[in-house]
Amino acid sequence: MAKSFAYYPGCIAEFSSKELNATTKALAPMLDIELVPMPSATCCGAGDIAEAKPNLYLALNVRILSEAEEMGHDILTICNVCTMNLRKANKMVREDPRLLEQVNADLVKAGARPYSGGVEVTHLLWYISTEEGLSLLEKQGPRGLNGLRVAPYYGCQLLRPSSVMGFEDPDKPESMERLIRALGGEVADYEAKTKCCGFPIVLAREKVALSESHVALSQARDAGADCMVTPCPLCHLAMDAYQRKAEIQNDTEYNMPVLHLPQLLGLALGLGRDTMLFKKHMVSVEPVLQTVGV
Amino acid sequence: MPSTTFKIFRYQPDSADPEPYYQDFTVEHGEKLTLLDAILNIQNEQDGTIAVRYSCRSAICGSCACKADGRTVLACMQQVEELKEWSGEDTVQIDPIGNFEPIKDLVVDMTPFWEKVKSVKPYLLADGPPPEKERIVPKEAMQRLVKETNCILCAACYSECNSLAADPDFVGPAALAWGYRFAGDIRDGQHKERAKMYTGKHGVWACTRCQYCNQRCPKGVDPRDAIEKLGAISFREGRGMKDAGGRHAVGFLWSVKTGGKLNEILLAGVTDPVRMSLDVPFSARMLQKGKVPGPLPHRVKNLDQVKKLVKNVKETI
Repeated sequence: MAKSFAYYPGCIAEFSSKELNATTKALAPMLDIELVPMPSATCCGAGDIAEAKPNLYLALNVRILSEAEEMGHDILTICNVCTMNLRKANKMVREDPRLLEQVNADLVKAGARPYSGGVEVTHLLWYISTEEGLSLLEKQGPRGLNGLRVAPYYGCQLLRPSSVMGFEDPDKPESMERLIRALGGEVADYEAKTKCCGFPIVLAREKVALSESHVALSQARDAGADCMVTPCPLCHLAMDAYQRKAEIQNDTEYNMPVLHLPQLLGLALGLGRDTMLFKKHMVSVEPVLQTVGV
Repeated sequence: MPSTTFKIFRYQPDSADPEPYYQDFTVEHGEKLTLLDAILNIQNEQDGTIAVRYSCRSAICGSCACKADGRTVLACMQQVEELKEWSGEDTVQIDPIGNFEPIKDLVVDMTPFWEKVKSVKPYLLADGPPPEKERIVPKEAMQRLVKETNCILCAACYSECNSLAADPDFVGPAALAWGYRFAGDIRDGQHKERAKMYTGKHGVWACTRCQYCNQRCPKGVDPRDAIEKLGAISFREGRGMKDAGGRHAVGFLWSVKTGGKLNEILLAGVTDPVRMSLDVPFSARMLQKGKVPGPLPHRVKNLDQVKKLVKNVKETI
């Protein structure tokens, strides 16, 4: 029986990085996952609303959690930032009944359903990289990655702070490495895979942000990666959409195709290239498709 | 008896061999040994020339932060056996903290750190003459500052701050946590001035939210959370629109108010309208690749609830 989740793709996957949403939706039935839409869910605030109006951030996120609770499902995310914001809000109200009461009072006053703390928030990477998840991939008889050399790029907010995230060691994450190897790829390892992509400040401090993405892009290139893979669409924008700008600023070339995590799974499981909307990538993924044989 | 090899970063610029290198020292020890005791043991019994800063040995003075196998720790709080369990090896590599210039071995030049801490004016600034009697502060008001008050200025946060690595002038997590400790104090009379002081080019809005500071702080200060609270204070004090970083948050607020979800066109336009309109080649490439969504609000169901929350939720910072 399919496992049902309240699906929270987040704003970036819905609008500017539609390829991520489309690929996840196409992939889900292959992994026996039912993605149930959340029509009332707002933006999580991405840490921005939290640093302007912290109580509003909390109310918005608890409202999202409450919608999933009403649906009777846990939440599945495909974005680091959404995952951290939702989990943080969840932790705050679960650990402080008085705070939950205050937030619920605001929700009820606005006509929204109060929350009782019964929802878990899980990223697709976490779900699919466990033993059970890997067996779902195995069941599909993956055609594999044909030795593709993949640099996993975790970014920040799926790992840290571990008091909120807690799925794996934030300094020695292995979930993507497990997936890459299980799917017949090679891991290109490099130190900066857990460092920041700079995206949260790319509009306000572009030069600083592009210095940050340079560290990971140059290390992945030097580790001989054919491509990078990331579980976060914000990291993807920093590494893919802003890659050319980082090359110009840092006077170098990376030529690094960047895949969204579901696209890597989709390649190994045989999803079509048109389904995964690779044409929306700024850096061509053609060499990757050729290696895998799509 | 367990035995551990410590691979220690050596740097003695005044010696005949001024290039940095690693030197191995092996120590036999009991089950319980802190990293600081291991270093002092080596200093006492094997090589007296090793330079290391320490004082209280009790996680109070904040002197002995260093990197153990790449992670910044307070040496006096860190058990050696835990490090070995983590790495699965019998060797522990010890380096000076990051984002600083080394002076000698594990000792770094902390001058920029202290300058930045001083720059946030880490003391109460009254807005008038002192009262005749003491200032009475409600317990709840002080509880809001408890975490930040626990900062011991060990610079573990600073050591791994990704913003600092890219922008050496960034004020940094510890100094901003101290900033909140006073900007959030109801006895302080300079909230507006502090909001301005902390939101300059290298202040609150230059934090890239890598969360390393929250992860590494040995005292649970959560500096990133303090930076968020300073952002909220700067909004309360009317500085939300003064910097692109603040306007970035405004873009999110307006998006949510008008549709519920992020409106990326609005976000880019509000954050830096001049740059957005001038950066034609980039915008054209994004447009060509279908990465520019429509400019209209993305409306969620039950948007009236969201609008009511935006209007009615009271901020308490």
